[in-house]
Amino acid sequence: MKSKRTLLIRLAVVLVLIAIGAVMMVIGRGHTVYFDNVALDYNGTHYDALYKVTVYVKDKQVAKLYAKERGMATWIGQNFSMTLEVIETKGGDEEVHTIHVKLPYNMDGIVLNLPALLQGLPEEAYLKEFVSNVPEVPVEEEPGSSDEFDFGADF
Amino acid sequence: MKKKKTLRPEGNPIVRFIRNNTVPIMFVLICAVCIPLSGFSPSYLLNEIVTRMGRNIFLILCLLIPIMAGMGLNFGMTLGAMAGEIALIFVADWQIWGIPGVILAMILSIPFSILLGLLCGKLLNMSKGREMITSYIISFFINGLYQLVVLYMMGPIIPIKHFSIKLPRGYGIRNTVSLLNMRQVLDNALSVTIAGVKIPILTFAIIAVLCLFVTWFRKTKLGQDMRAVGQNMEVARAAGINVERTRLISIVISTVIAGFGMIIYLQNMGNLSTYSSHSQIGMFCIAALLVGGASVDKANIGNVFLGVILFHTMFIVAPSAGAKITGDSMIGEYFRVFISYGVITVALVMYEAKKRRAKSLAGHKLAQDQLTEDKEAAQ
Repeated sequence: MKSKRTLLIRLAVVLVLIAIGAVMMVIGRGHTVYFDNVALDYNGTHYDALYKVTVYVKDKQVAKLYAKERGMATWIGQNFSMTLEVIETKGGDEEVHTIHVKLPYNMDGIVLNLPALLQGLPEEAYLKEFVSNVPEVPVEEEPGSSDEFDFGADF
Repeated sequence: MKKKKTLRPEGNPIVRFIRNNTVPIMFVLICAVCIPLSGFSPSYLLNEIVTRMGRNIFLILCLLIPIMAGMGLNFGMTLGAMAGEIALIFVADWQIWGIPGVILAMILSIPFSILLGLLCGKLLNMSKGREMITSYIISFFINGLYQLVVLYMMGPIIPIKHFSIKLPRGYGIRNTVSLLNMRQVLDNALSVTIAGVKIPILTFAIIAVLCLFVTWFRKTKLGQDMRAVGQNMEVARAAGINVERTRLISIVISTVIAGFGMIIYLQNMGNLSTYSSHSQIGMFCIAALLVGGASVDKANIGNVFLGVILFHTMFIVAPSAGAKITGDSMIGEYFRVFISYGVITVALVMYEAKKRRAKSLAGHKLAQDQLTEDKEAAQ
């Protein structure tokens, strides 16, 4: 009887740990979000880049973008939120927009097109995966080569 | 005429105090000389010490439980450190950042730590009386396995996909894994700055919880069993305690705590040296504990705190003091490494000497008692 109870308690602990781990995997998923202030064509309509847009993430200014510029921020979780201070044309009034975007779990780097986002276009127009165009130079790394006695290592 | 050597316990409390605290006193003197020479400001020094306390105390606390069970200094804590590192590699690959990343790494490290702890505990049960050297060699053996897994199995067998972690050849893990996205997340959460000194409240709270656990654990049935096993295995066995199981549990708990400690340590550092982060950790933790006045068979939470403060003060000031004295900062680097190994040697020699002295005293007393009994019988 006692051993059955012990087994049940252990199983419950394991299940709780697995559940916490699963929650952490969802809420802790990190993304790098890039903001593009570039013109785009969608369904035969042309959308111009904004004159100036300032991006705030968690009340911190992360980018001030003019046309054809890109900024970035990091975000943990899938419910991304940002505030944009937008001046659409030179000399125009400043508008403030708070935007919420659901980030795809499987993408590390996500590019958001700000003009498309502000126009309320569908996700396929404003969101795409970031793919680095810079080819990685294969640097031969010697794994495990280190000073055996580790002098100078901090602790 | 040859003077007869008498063996008697020291009556002078000052002599006894100095004899019992030789290592901490030595370190206080070293620090007293090196601090003014280093030229560091008190706030800088304090900041560094507080940071290092948050970084290291959790790791060092893992050594207390095996000492309680009479297994000496657990050099096998390196196994827990490796378990923590493997968990961090996975978390970095899955791109789980911040505090959730740290928590997930801790949860992931548990099965690895338990497995490695069971292996280590089983082997240590086979080599009773030689636990320290055995655990030291086990850590080398498991390090070899770790390298094999990390260098060749991660990629083709164990799925690793993130390009920043994998070696350019397509398999194996890079020399350094960046933990920038979880760097000091525990230390910065709830931190307060007092007089220029940043105090990581959350990290200290986690350490306080572990200290409470250790204190509570001593009073539990299992804790009492461990102490009984630590004092005398045969007597404990005769009293119905399952000695092997108790020792095994102590090593498993120590390994799990070491895994957590390594994760706390690495989140503070902000990067993981895949092949070398764990290599010196056991040695430095043990040195720090011994500097705090612990011995092979006796250690408490106070020793951990004192040890971290003294050992790290020496660690911080030695290079700079060395540079000021000799004009070469490398001398200071050598000095602190030499002190780390030296202090372990001194502590081990002192422990053996103390044990022999106690044995000799007991033998001497027994002989005197027998002599008195014989005299009484003759009369």
